[in-house]
Amino acid sequence: MSDAAVSRAFIPKLSSLSRFTFVDVVLWALRIGVVVVVVGGTIGTLIKARYGAAQWFDFLVFGVTIGSVYALVALGYTMVYGVLRLINFAHGDIMMTGAFSGYFVASSFAESGFLDTNPVLAMLGILAVAVTTSTLIAVLTERLAYRPFRRVRGLAPLICAIGVSFFLEQTFRGAFGSGVRAYPDPKWQKNTVDVFGFGVPLVEVLVVAAALVSMLVLYVIVQRTRMGTAMRAVSEDSDTAAMMGIDVNKVVVFTFALGGAMAGIAGVCYAFVFKQVYFFMGFTPGIKAFGAAVLGGIGSVPGAMIGGLFLGLVESVGPALFLDGIGIPAPYQLRDLIAFTLLIMVLIFRPYGIFGERMAKKRA
Amino acid sequence: MRGFNYRRILLCGGGMIAALAVVSSASAAETKGPVTDDIGVLVIPKGAPIQIGAYWVMSGADSALGIDEKRGVEIAVKDIGGKLVGHPIKLNVEDDGCNAEGGQTAATKLASNPATAIVIGPACSSAATPGAPILWKAGITDIDTAATAPALTAPERKPEYAGFVRTVYSDIDQGRNDAKYVHDVLKAQKIVTIHDGSPYAQQLATVMGENFKKLGGQVLSQEAVSPTDVDMHPVLTRVATEKPDVIYAPVFVAAGAQLLRQSKDIPGLEKVPLIGSSGQMAPDLIEAARAAIVGYKITYPDVSPEAMGKAYPKFVDEYKKAYGEAPISGYHANAYDGAQLAFKAIEKVAKTDASGATYIGRKALRDAVFATKFEGVSGPISCDQYGQCAQFKPAVYEFTNGDPKTFKIGENPKKIWP
Repeated sequence: MSDAAVSRAFIPKLSSLSRFTFVDVVLWALRIGVVVVVVGGTIGTLIKARYGAAQWFDFLVFGVTIGSVYALVALGYTMVYGVLRLINFAHGDIMMTGAFSGYFVASSFAESGFLDTNPVLAMLGILAVAVTTSTLIAVLTERLAYRPFRRVRGLAPLICAIGVSFFLEQTFRGAFGSGVRAYPDPKWQKNTVDVFGFGVPLVEVLVVAAALVSMLVLYVIVQRTRMGTAMRAVSEDSDTAAMMGIDVNKVVVFTFALGGAMAGIAGVCYAFVFKQVYFFMGFTPGIKAFGAAVLGGIGSVPGAMIGGLFLGLVESVGPALFLDGIGIPAPYQLRDLIAFTLLIMVLIFRPYGIFGERMAKKRA
Repeated sequence: MRGFNYRRILLCGGGMIAALAVVSSASAAETKGPVTDDIGVLVIPKGAPIQIGAYWVMSGADSALGIDEKRGVEIAVKDIGGKLVGHPIKLNVEDDGCNAEGGQTAATKLASNPATAIVIGPACSSAATPGAPILWKAGITDIDTAATAPALTAPERKPEYAGFVRTVYSDIDQGRNDAKYVHDVLKAQKIVTIHDGSPYAQQLATVMGENFKKLGGQVLSQEAVSPTDVDMHPVLTRVATEKPDVIYAPVFVAAGAQLLRQSKDIPGLEKVPLIGSSGQMAPDLIEAARAAIVGYKITYPDVSPEAMGKAYPKFVDEYKKAYGEAPISGYHANAYDGAQLAFKAIEKVAKTDASGATYIGRKALRDAVFATKFEGVSGPISCDQYGQCAQFKPAVYEFTNGDPKTFKIGENPKKIWP
């Protein structure tokens, strides 16, 4: 029997096995591994009972707080992607510009005592300045950097976005130095609010509320206004939308402005929770929010909201719930690992994200 | 076919480089002019500057640490008249960002300059750990001025660190002292340590914990955060469940300020003192922590004039005159002594020929650095065989004011022990 004949004789037998490739085995091992870690860790942690109800609640509230900031930033990613099919990697830095400009207002308000005497007005003032700055910068980046690339295929727009990100970071570094600055710490923000019998710092309640209100407003704008309808039309098919008389440029500018405004609100919220602002502060939340947008299904507005909240929760609760139980020392160092493992799992097993499929059907 | 040709060229080139490497490593000693040296000879033509490399953290939250040391070296250059063995001194400063990637890049850049005679710095062990071997591979001695991780001068250090010495203490001593302070003075029995994964913080937290156990105390857990972490609530919540007497967190400025601010909001930690260490002596810490800083204690080398060398007061006067402010961190004197050590060793081994060119044997320079002893402005400098040239004098400093403008070592923070 010749070699060819031998191999032909074996093919039918091997074909059923050969459907399981090496990659499949690895993927299944990954799935099983993650499930084992999650289930085993959770059981372990619950048996150890290191944390009481108050602590779990604290983790949850903090997860929701940081998650709602991620969600606000993720909205900017997802809307721009929806309209332009562009991943705007500079979006995290646009959030930084909002937080930074808010810092100058906040610190002068704190010095003059205005932040303590008129907290509502002061917070609105800080937000207004931050939102104006980040919206302006978002619109400018679109006009100056992205529009010339509008019809360019390939990776050039993406690389341009990374360049814009560096440009913003280094501009702020050059203008305001590379040191860390701190937002003021007014006393009223430390007051606790009673939620289900647990004390929650007022600032966290404020951040969650601000995020929810802005997301609601954004949802209404996208779903109920003419501009929102135009936005959705352009994201379905920009050429057809243009033929229907929609001014695509106007829609794109509007999208960037909306995303920039959300980033400005997110920047102030983030800075009031974590206090520190510096030129590189937008990078990590930006990447996380991008992850959140992918998790929810990039291009989907509710997806970004849910994805952000989910990522924040997993990050906050995950180390204690999954890793503590299997006896990993210093689990919080691995928080980013959990966040990005989650992202990788989504990319592998559900590339369209949580809300992606429904949208794909709608598009089809 | 095009791809194939490229590949062939690449292969050819790679082969030639490999052949060259074999040839160059085979030639053991090098002779140039009047000098023969096992590693290589640096030739400085007549009138050309003698190039001293340096790398510190020059940007970001920890930049005070690096800028302070750069100033120390600049004063040392000024003090010897800007000239060494007949050549003007040129200082090439690189920013290492206080991290491993930055240290690697900075060291590679300095090592790739064939005119680099010797290197001073860095300030961070994260940068020194990858940086020193790169420099020594190029035959360049590295005099570190503030990176204190024990492993860098431990007896079991690897041969690629043979060219590394430091004019600053080792954290073996800092850790021992910190354990003693927390146990004997603060009367703590149970502690939690937090590090940030950097060689400095991790090794210091470990050494401190081991010594604390030797003194009869209990280390409940060794936690870790990342240097850029902003959300410390989960880790602090976990720490709170362990009910420590003291939290010892020898991290850097950004993470330190976050821990400080957030620990006061965690139920159960309101009254637990947080103790920081030598990476945090900077006005930026006050800027980042603001009001939360009042009462914050950090362990630090004693940098009060009484604890320093005799020439220290004069040095500080010069510093103030040149830069218009008091020293902004604590390692300027170590940097000054590092530069002095470099200058003295170069003077010992440099030979000038009739044409006015200067020759420096690289191995000879390394040996001269190890053999040089003198009374520095930070204290006596005398290296052991593993490159440890300075001793530790313990102190504890406490911050008293939340306004960054009031930062002045000795006043805010003020020395409270011993």
